[in-house]
Amino acid sequence: MAEPHDDRPIAEIEALRAPPRTETARRQARERILAAAEPLLALRQRPLSSWDVLAAWARPGLIAASVALAVAAGALLSGRVGQQTVEPVALGEVLAFSEGGEIPALLVAINEPDAEAVAAAALMAGGGNNGSLQENANNGEGQ
Amino acid sequence: MVSARKGGNPAQDEPFLVERARQGDRDAFGTLVDRYSDQAFAVAYGFLQHVEDAEDLVQDAFIRALERIDSLGRGSAFGPWFYRLLVNAALNRRKYLARRQMQDVPAAVAGRESPVVDSERAELRRHLSGALRSLASDSETVVILHDLEGFKHPEIAKILGIPEGTCRSHLSKARRQLRDRLGEYRQPD
Repeated sequence: MAEPHDDRPIAEIEALRAPPRTETARRQARERILAAAEPLLALRQRPLSSWDVLAAWARPGLIAASVALAVAAGALLSGRVGQQTVEPVALGEVLAFSEGGEIPALLVAINEPDAEAVAAAALMAGGGNNGSLQENANNGEGQ
Repeated sequence: MVSARKGGNPAQDEPFLVERARQGDRDAFGTLVDRYSDQAFAVAYGFLQHVEDAEDLVQDAFIRALERIDSLGRGSAFGPWFYRLLVNAALNRRKYLARRQMQDVPAAVAGRESPVVDSERAELRRHLSGALRSLASDSETVVILHDLEGFKHPEIAKILGIPEGTCRSHLSKARRQLRDRLGEYRQPD
């Protein structure tokens, strides 16, 4: 069974009661509290200046600018890579003729061979006119 | 207006004062200080039994309240919230003082505050204070607020954030424990 509530205050506890505060003590305490609170109150009073607004946006602004810069740089670089093209090579440069000038050979193979060169080589291998090809090659060089 | 000073129903202008203090209004904050500082001092003294420590604690509690005033909900009563800060600060301060080997405060107080204090009374105060400190912190707080400072149970319940019934049982249990511990220092009922 629960114990009944003890409703009798302990009379002796009155001995722990605070001494009455004098008017002077009260005023001094008030002044001290308000003086200590002054910096906090001033912080709360300060109106928001345009610098505060700018400062608040500074960090997200910097982050956004950095991201935009990185994206732009990436796009620029990838565009350049995409624009790389194979320079056309004159037929005369890639064909070598034997001393007899009968069988030309395709020498240069760093880049994919030009379709014309392949076709010409095929034609010559099939018994085409060496002289006219040599001529064409030289003409192409001159252009 | 007594209840406003004890953290019960706040005065009607109190939400307005709190709002102005939130915006850094010195007068509004000063009014809150005027309204609560006497009672706060009495409560602080109940815990610390030392005038200067109690005054320092009240100042700290007001400054802490101003620092955290944004956490006080709009329209919420300032009193219970402020007294909760004060009580927590008092318990912490006392732990700090105890660590600094200054537990024998009542004797020092007796010597400093009233040189001609009766030695029996000083002895009683020392025992009372020791017995109070031996209670659980919630029970001690209830005794100080209720029996010493005259707060009502609903007010104390709000301050401590506990149900009123729990508050009553804390008080009842604490009184029984105090009676046992005071023993010879008590006058017969």
